Amino acid sequence: MTTAAISTTSTRRIHRPSVDAFLIPVLMAAPAMLTLAVWVYYPLLETAWLSFFEWNMMPGATKTFVGFENYERLLSLPEMPKATLNTIYYTLGLLPMTVALPLAVALLSQNLQGPWRNVYRAAIFLPMIMAPVVIAVIWRWLLNAEYGLINVILNSLGFGKVQFLNNPDTALWTILFMTGWKLVGFSTLVFAAAITQIDKSMTEAARMDGASEWRVAIDIVIPLISPSVLFIAMLTVLHGAQWSFAYINVLTKGGPLLATTNLFYLLYEYGFANFAVGWSAAAGMVLFLGFGAIAILCGRVLQRHAFHQG
Amino acid sequence: MSAIISTTAPSPQDGSFGSATAIAKVDPSQRNLSLRAHALLLPLSFVCIFPLYWMLVTALRHEGDVFSTTLWPENPTLENFRYVVGAIPLGRMLLNTTLMAVLTTVLQIVTGLMAAYVFASARVWAGRLLLVSLTAAWLIPPQVIMIPNFLLINRLGMMDTLQALVIPHAAAAFAIMLLYQTIRSFPKELIESAEMDGCGHMHILFAIIVPNIRPVIASVAILLFISSWNEYLWPLLVTRSAENSVIQIGLQMFLGEQGNQWGALMAAATLASMPILLIYLVLQRQIIDTFVRSGLR
Amino acid sequence: MTTMNTPLKRRSLIAAMAALTLMSQTTNTWSQPMPPLGNNKVTITFYNYNLASAGLGADATKELIREFMAANPGVTVEGVAVPSGDMTTRLQADLAAGRTPDLAQLVFNDLDHIVRNFGVQALQDIVPAADWKSHTEGMVPAGLELAAFGGKMYGLAFTFSTPVLWYNADLLKAAGLDANKPPSTWDEVKSAALAVKAKTGKEGFYGSFYTQFDWALQGLILSNGGRVLSKDRKRLMFGEPEAVKTIEMLRDMVDAGAHTTVSDTDAMDNMRNGRLAMVLTTSAYQRSLMSAAQGKFDLRATKMPAFAGKPAVPTNSGSGLFILSKDPLKQRAAWELMKFLTSKQGYTTITTKIGYLPLRLDIVKDPKYLGTWVAENPLIMPNIEQLSRLQPWESIPGNNYKQIQKIEVQAVNEAVFGKGNVAAIMQDAQKRAQALMPR
Repeated sequence: MTTAAISTTSTRRIHRPSVDAFLIPVLMAAPAMLTLAVWVYYPLLETAWLSFFEWNMMPGATKTFVGFENYERLLSLPEMPKATLNTIYYTLGLLPMTVALPLAVALLSQNLQGPWRNVYRAAIFLPMIMAPVVIAVIWRWLLNAEYGLINVILNSLGFGKVQFLNNPDTALWTILFMTGWKLVGFSTLVFAAAITQIDKSMTEAARMDGASEWRVAIDIVIPLISPSVLFIAMLTVLHGAQWSFAYINVLTKGGPLLATTNLFYLLYEYGFANFAVGWSAAAGMVLFLGFGAIAILCGRVLQRHAFHQG
Repeated sequence: MSAIISTTAPSPQDGSFGSATAIAKVDPSQRNLSLRAHALLLPLSFVCIFPLYWMLVTALRHEGDVFSTTLWPENPTLENFRYVVGAIPLGRMLLNTTLMAVLTTVLQIVTGLMAAYVFASARVWAGRLLLVSLTAAWLIPPQVIMIPNFLLINRLGMMDTLQALVIPHAAAAFAIMLLYQTIRSFPKELIESAEMDGCGHMHILFAIIVPNIRPVIASVAILLFISSWNEYLWPLLVTRSAENSVIQIGLQMFLGEQGNQWGALMAAATLASMPILLIYLVLQRQIIDTFVRSGLR
Repeated sequence: MTTMNTPLKRRSLIAAMAALTLMSQTTNTWSQPMPPLGNNKVTITFYNYNLASAGLGADATKELIREFMAANPGVTVEGVAVPSGDMTTRLQADLAAGRTPDLAQLVFNDLDHIVRNFGVQALQDIVPAADWKSHTEGMVPAGLELAAFGGKMYGLAFTFSTPVLWYNADLLKAAGLDANKPPSTWDEVKSAALAVKAKTGKEGFYGSFYTQFDWALQGLILSNGGRVLSKDRKRLMFGEPEAVKTIEMLRDMVDAGAHTTVSDTDAMDNMRNGRLAMVLTTSAYQRSLMSAAQGKFDLRATKMPAFAGKPAVPTNSGSGLFILSKDPLKQRAAWELMKFLTSKQGYTTITTKIGYLPLRLDIVKDPKYLGTWVAENPLIMPNIEQLSRLQPWESIPGNNYKQIQKIEVQAVNEAVFGKGNVAAIMQDAQKRAQALMPR
């Protein structure tokens, strides 16, 4: 990482006046920003607008202005309170599996010798390669009360059979487990990559001073990768409910008796059932604004606590 | 699997002598750590691998034995695989999905790198603004923007094409954000000295920064690839024939009105996982290699 | 098409339809704007959900399409495979984008919505009267009614079924019951289920009343003298006393332990591997259940159970074929395809290869068509027998019909599997859903 290699070819480049220096960055950022503007931001504005109408998009059908009626209908759904509570459970419940556990894995595995590190990392990453539908189906079989392997084992150990997905008390945690199970590899990968960015001299210096691995991890490594850790934490808070969607949709459809529904799933059910645009637009806006508020909060935390090496 | 192996750990940059003495001092705690590591990682790995194993095992079972709990199929058979290949245009779907995922990932990384660089080098308030707006982009449930996008694709005449699958996703807010964080943490001195040498922005980004953040790029690439691979709703809207559609739609075809074909689904799913596994194995070497080279033990 | 300026005010819609029928001479007369195919080359799109599942349904449909194209060389049929749950979404998106499908297989509970919004052609208006008459001769009148709306015929029933009580004869025998006299009333179902549970430890009964498609639920409520929707299609009635009593019957079964509480998919899987004695559901599962039962248990089927003293009312599940295209030549091509698919040969393929019902009863005994197959597969008989007693699966009116259905199904789930008061739950749901009905 020396600068010597660059200087030979750079003499031809003269520092241009500010117009050019401005133009290049704009052009560089343009593709991403334009794509987002056209395919994400503009539809968002359109959605916000449409949320105040009732319209079924058919040629010839007119949009009827209904004010806040769509919002009222959604927010007054009796399932809302339970969905909101569940959302909190999903979010907080995922954090151990998307932050704490992967962090432990990334840290513990990197000091392993020989092939073990790669083997463990690959093994833990495997859930990511399976399609969500398939994961849902497999776990459903494994957890089945009658013939699932898990229950078979529990029975042989003397426990009674557990209706993992059909019992309102255990259903949410079961879905949560499946969601987190898939994502451990994701976070581990991000943390592992972040760890490679750490300036090695710092950790080596600490080790030379006789610091234990534990201390090295706590005092040096974790603070240095804190932007990534906090980023993943924020990701979990904002998208946790969305991540479990595939499993809820395949396995429980929000049941049994609303045990597994959450804000995202509920709004999906009512909002996107039939592209009655008013409903879906309002549902989308509720999710967007609700989580947007949380995101702003998270953003504050991130700014204050993230530690940048540079 | 003892601590003695540490003598073979390469650490060229910090001087082998230093490490050698360090080894002798840290040996006992290193072994404890190793044990603790294995104690956590081994069961975790098992929990992670087993369902995948079960998927494979079920794919090898006869349709009638699908619910059996034996750990290995009594009469392993390849009939499910044969059926799957005949029932859906599996090859085409895998090809389409791979093309879509690769193109999308490459685009997202390139546009993401450029945007992240610009905002990371800009004033802090610009960076904050970016983060806020990216988070906004990110929070929008995809179903919400799907219909306006669908209408736009139609107007542009791109229906049922690969472009329709790729272009709307040419930028990923997630990638931009993560790369932004990474570039912000990049040693400023290197960038500054390159600027003083008169290097242009593109050069700084692609010749200096990128080679050094390869592990992050590789990990983001893997994640973007997977996310693209798992897309279902959007391809469902813009593709019109089975031959042009993606593997997720193919998998759904085994869950039908007349009953679910579990064995076939598992066989199709196994085949559908292979490309991702391949990409992971290829890209993760980027991360491992850098580890080994920089010698973080 | 006249534009609708107000949110689907019934009056303006009727006005529009009246104007349209006035334009085509008098009501209920069949006009003939449809040209013959002649030597014209035409391509039509056929939106179909059987094509979207691998194997079984897809192959049979593809075969039918191939045969049709061979018999009509000028016509090219593009099959568009869309999963049934996504069919209206896809149609809506395509129509909004200006790509009108020509022929579509649409589920019956969307009937109101598709007639009003998708521009489905009333067959009266485009098909020659003589053609219609000769084609529908031999079709069960009750079956034809399924696609009728507002006094006009809009399509033909294509892949549909009635509620069939599948049962595991071995489990019934093990419970000390006579497998040749399966339960015919709900009381008998309950006691049989309890007996199975007590003597064999396996689950007793499951009914397909809890998913987003409420066809069987409507039939159940009709069987008890109640309705889900009033006859004038203005009021929801699933919170009325007869409907409530129906739900209470299910709840009673759950509380007694006769009705299994697992999910729909789990219940079907349990039936397939012999862990459930009875299930009331569509006959479309025939192949899947038969292949699962082969060599493992004795699978049988019987008609829908009745409430004591009242006749059972089977309702239909499934879909019909509807023409959406506006171009007369394409309409002709679509109509020819529709006729082919609902011909004697067409229904023979559908019944034998997929397991749905034929709309024509004359082919059932005819050895050229279904005769031999039915003799070998008696399991289809209860379904066929119920065909003449069929009542239509009512589609809910208005733009919010899916949300109304959601409320209804959610309430049923809560009332049956929860601990609350059934009447209160159903009445509350009815009130909330009524607020979403068209004004």
